[in-house]
Amino acid sequence: MDIGILRRDGRTDGFFDAAARDRLAVRRCPDCTRGGDGVSGDVLLPPDATSCPDCGTEDLEWADASGDAVLVTWTVLHGRPKEDGSTPPPALLALVELAEGPWLHARLDGVTTADLREGLPLRARFVHPGEGESYPLFLPV
Amino acid sequence: MNDGAAIAGLGMTELGRVYGRSPRRLAADAVRAAADDAGLALGDLDGLLVSHGLGGSPGIELADTLGLRDLRLLTQMNSFGATAGAMLSYAAMSVLSGAATAVACVFADAPLKPKQSAGSAYHRDAPEWYGFGGMTAALGFRSVNAFYALAAQRHMAHYGTTSEQLGAIAVSTRAWASRNPLAQMRDPITLEDHQNSRWVAEPLHLLDCCLVSNGAIAVIVTGADRAADLARPPVHLWGWGQGHPGHRKAAGSAFGLVTGAATSGPIAMKMAGITTADVTQAQLYDCYTSTVLVSLEDYGFCGKGEGGPFAASGALGPGGALPTNTGGGQLSGYYMWGMTPVSEAVIQARGDGGDRQAASDVILVSGNGGILDHHATLILSPHPKGA
Repeated sequence: MDIGILRRDGRTDGFFDAAARDRLAVRRCPDCTRGGDGVSGDVLLPPDATSCPDCGTEDLEWADASGDAVLVTWTVLHGRPKEDGSTPPPALLALVELAEGPWLHARLDGVTTADLREGLPLRARFVHPGEGESYPLFLPV
Repeated sequence: MNDGAAIAGLGMTELGRVYGRSPRRLAADAVRAAADDAGLALGDLDGLLVSHGLGGSPGIELADTLGLRDLRLLTQMNSFGATAGAMLSYAAMSVLSGAATAVACVFADAPLKPKQSAGSAYHRDAPEWYGFGGMTAALGFRSVNAFYALAAQRHMAHYGTTSEQLGAIAVSTRAWASRNPLAQMRDPITLEDHQNSRWVAEPLHLLDCCLVSNGAIAVIVTGADRAADLARPPVHLWGWGQGHPGHRKAAGSAFGLVTGAATSGPIAMKMAGITTADVTQAQLYDCYTSTVLVSLEDYGFCGKGEGGPFAASGALGPGGALPTNTGGGQLSGYYMWGMTPVSEAVIQARGDGGDRQAASDVILVSGNGGILDHHATLILSPHPKGA
């Protein structure tokens, strides 16, 4: 499946700026910290979060995630047959859990379906196409 | 005397590859048919609840299209595939509270276009993609198939559910459809046919995925006493409930494993005064075979993780212990979102099921919306509640 050309839409510039420098950006609530259990830390949210589910603020910051993740679940998406009878190659798609907690819908690369299992360690690697924005793929560590 | 609410009328347009009528026109036709079916004039309606599909139409302007005047209840509702159940429960509460006396609930959509595949109706494609959502689509998430496949695969990884067990649902549902003249797909299939059907998004084969249909379905809800005096046997609304788990996209999420049916089911059954052992048939939202499987677990028809063996036992098909999706569901019948299970439940409760008629004393109806995000449950019966 061709990925095509990615353009920014003004709402996620921080994500694509980070991707251009090979970093995976997520959102961070400037006000909330995880506490309670004695483990304090930033509340990190998926890159497309528009507000903090705990305090409601829409003024989320961008933060670099480690790029480390584990596999949650996956699918081999098969291309839709075209009118000429050909079928585009399948894409390996997944939900991945970032080391920081948020889940991302992601595309895997460099792995065969036989190796897929829950908890498989993955790391983001960025593609920098000639035209359009950079984007992450997730590869086994 | 009985002071409950009941479905008094059912109206269905032609369903499937029906072209040349807008969703608004289809919706209007279905409401007229439902009123006719109930033996009511359009002017007898004082409530209208509207739900649209992908096309974004119709909305509340449908009242103008139908020439309805002096309505006491008019609104558009949306909880995706759970909307039909939500509309019927709102209609029932409106009737019981006295806010309205005869409420039409209608869903319409016309995503199919002539000379276009069914899959393309729910598929995005573009040369350029915008923003983070665009990137996700560009990477391959261009239709809902991939998201449901992720859920199904997670269920398989956790509980050992197999493709053959999903296939058992496709086969039993088609067996029912072969007995339903309204169904779009009536040729019987085997487990081998299921396994040989092309992959859409593993672990989902083509025969794990529902149809796409154009058309509209409407029902009329009135008080049970009034329904008893109308043209058709009342279908009593014993209970209703909703469940919206709000799984966060983060560590610890039960996505794919537990749905809102685990909440909506017990609420509806408690209201109805029943347990799963009392349910004589189930009409479950079946956008995918896997949706049926996880819903069966969450309603408690089997244990968590046992949906696969339960489906493979033959319980769901003709002659089984829990006749399920007796009209062919959305997999083989017709895809009218939550109105697919509602319409078949009404047909069954009236005893109009013909060759596919199953025991219909207590019918559980399940709607599902989003990616297993929203559930609505109805308990329907030909008998007055508590009788």
